[in-house]
Amino acid sequence: MNGEEKKFHDKIIYMAQLASISFIWIFVAGIAVWILNLISISVDLNDAPGASIGISIIAIPVFFTLAGILTYVFVGFHKKNNNIKE
Amino acid sequence: MEEKKKTTVDIDEALYRPIYETGKGFYITVGVLLMIILFAAFMYIRQVYYGLGVTGMNQPVTWGFYIVNFVFFIGISHAGTLISAILRLSKAEWRRPITRMAEVITAIVLAIGGLHPIIDLGRPDRVLNIFTAGRLQSPLLWDVTSITAYFTASTVYLYLPMIPDIAKLRDRGGKLRWFYDFLSWGWQGTEHQKKVLNRAINILMVMVIPIAVSVHTVISYIFSMTLQPGWHSTIFGPYFVVGAIFSGIAALLIVMIAFRKFFHLENYLKLIHFRYLSTLLLIMSLLWFYFTFSEYLTGIFGAEPHEMDVILYKMTGPYAIFFWGMVICNFIIPVIVLSFKKFKTIKGILFASITVVIGMWLERLNIVIPSLANPRLELSTGMYFPSLTEWSLFIGALAVFVLGYVLFSKFFPIISIWEIEEGREESIKEVEERVKSYLPGPAGTTE
Amino acid sequence: MPKWAMVIDLDKCTGCGDCMAACKVENNVAIVSPEQAEENRVMFWMDMMTIYEGEYPNIKVTRIPKPCYHCDNPPCIKVCPVHATYINPEGLVGQIYHRCIGCRYCMAACPYTAKVFNWYEPEWADEFKTCMNPDVSLRMKGVVEKCSFCAHRLQHVKEDADAEDRPINDGEYMPACAESCPADAIFFGDLENKESKVYKLSRSPRAFKELEDLGTEPKVIYLSKRE
Ligand code: SF4
Ligand code: SF4
Repeated sequence: MNGEEKKFHDKIIYMAQLASISFIWIFVAGIAVWILNLISISVDLNDAPGASIGISIIAIPVFFTLAGILTYVFVGFHKKNNNIKE
Repeated sequence: MEEKKKTTVDIDEALYRPIYETGKGFYITVGVLLMIILFAAFMYIRQVYYGLGVTGMNQPVTWGFYIVNFVFFIGISHAGTLISAILRLSKAEWRRPITRMAEVITAIVLAIGGLHPIIDLGRPDRVLNIFTAGRLQSPLLWDVTSITAYFTASTVYLYLPMIPDIAKLRDRGGKLRWFYDFLSWGWQGTEHQKKVLNRAINILMVMVIPIAVSVHTVISYIFSMTLQPGWHSTIFGPYFVVGAIFSGIAALLIVMIAFRKFFHLENYLKLIHFRYLSTLLLIMSLLWFYFTFSEYLTGIFGAEPHEMDVILYKMTGPYAIFFWGMVICNFIIPVIVLSFKKFKTIKGILFASITVVIGMWLERLNIVIPSLANPRLELSTGMYFPSLTEWSLFIGALAVFVLGYVLFSKFFPIISIWEIEEGREESIKEVEERVKSYLPGPAGTTE
Repeated sequence: MPKWAMVIDLDKCTGCGDCMAACKVENNVAIVSPEQAEENRVMFWMDMMTIYEGEYPNIKVTRIPKPCYHCDNPPCIKVCPVHATYINPEGLVGQIYHRCIGCRYCMAACPYTAKVFNWYEPEWADEFKTCMNPDVSLRMKGVVEKCSFCAHRLQHVKEDADAEDRPINDGEYMPACAESCPADAIFFGDLENKESKVYKLSRSPRAFKELEDLGTEPKVIYLSKRE
């Protein structure tokens, strides 16, 4: 692999990695939307909305923390790389 | 430095070998497993086509093997992430060759277990209703949420500590370079990256423990939130968690022994690792017995008639053989085998682990079926015989587990290489310092 | 708001099973094959409990008709993951067949084992197909069903009452089982209406409910001197 090709290759890989990170965020956001939707249904039907809100208070932050950790690692890895190159 | 690095790689060559060398055995195993899985898939499609009538379930035994296996598999999944998090958190140095294997069990088994409620549905085509019309108030949705959380967390927890190893595979070149390149997330092994990774792992392992505990607690809630005799019990949450860890450790031991044999990892998984883990198994066995004892003693002493129906069905009725089999498999055999050093050989531990896994499966059976089979009103007592469909899906699920594991070990090292290296290079000194810090200092000094 | 309830007088009931048959026809309940029945997959919305006491030849047999009790605090609806079983303001516990995902959690949670499941695609003999009740929707395989207190009849009664601009009379809304009982052992009516027969009977000293201690508050009340 010559320099040009390698650069291209790295770029593609980097894009794919970015895509996977954003996929995680979409997943997490999807879960949040889902849970919020269920809460609104239970409020509409007056069907023990307290219970659903209680669960969502625990569940949603957990998912966001997980996505946050992954993003933190990804960003953390790449930040230092740039510094080395400089 | 360069020289030294090369030699360490060579030392751990045994861990890379399975990835690069594919023998005939591999193809045969995969082929056989795929056949079993295909058959199971066929049986499942048949079930969807004809309806749940092809199973052995009926009224009043409306839940059968699928729910039993659901609880069982999710239980097994506690091996991994939970054990590995506890070991990491307690800085147990002997964890290093074990954690990865444990985490892989979790990820695979959780996926299998999580599918079981869907297999169990009468209308799998409507499963999306839980998104559009779900009720978070139903314990089943608590499960959906917590299993999703646990699955995400444990995959992340499996993946992050794998990054340095993936980078090693990437640097070796050879097959699937782009794949490893993609997964290694630009790991170069710089100090900063190490710090980031360690911090992330530390946060995760603290997070993953409550999630894991919540998963099995919530599964027990499926049962204990109903009013049914034998289910409606406050002890169920911790009882299920203990059982889950118990069966998880046993499954982990079996997997370790299998890989030790097939991948010739005797140098990494030594008798001492098995001894330590099996001590944990012994403790869990005693704990399990304590919970079982409390659960049944309160039932028998109170002698509430419906409760008694269920207990007698288990102890002297049609389920006596499963109930007492469970006690023998879960308590008597492991305690005898694991309390004597003489029996605590690899073979002995393997035997005890297998009985524990069987025993824990029987326990799940004993919890699910008898309560359903004994309706409270004066209706006839139910009976349940699993059909061929249920058996083949059970075996298919086991095959998926083995296949998942075999494939994983084809692409990634099943022992964390960098953690072993780190152990060699740093932790001896670190442990020495740590032990020193435990000891009393010179007389008269206080902190 | 009315609260519909049923009273079954066990001292009058002869255990003939007419209510079961009437229910099957009224609600298009599928008739399973003998082999399926053998496997405990019979479909009854109105079931019959049979209790044998004593030894042969001195056996005492008690027969108790058992519909869904339409609990006021139903454990079954609490567990449904998709709102496929619900209680309406009039106290009727219903099923939404086309939403049910067939997890059978509600069956496991019902302390009275009142629900049945469509293990296969439901089938009817040709003779039955000509006399299906058009008011009751047919079920599909893989969903749970149970006694609805003939809620479709309430619909008709309400329409009639609305058209004539009057309240529903006591005894106007009758499920098929109550109507068919030759011994007149099943009564049906509004518990909130202090004039109704059901209300008066529910106050009788002979009245009891099944598993009252569970707090499910069933709205099927039995009358019996025996227990
Ligand atoms: S009897 Fe069973 S099915 Fe009927 S309302 Fe009560 S709990 Fe639900
Ligand atoms: S079987 Fe149907 S009605 Fe019953 S709990 Fe499941 S989805 Fe709800």
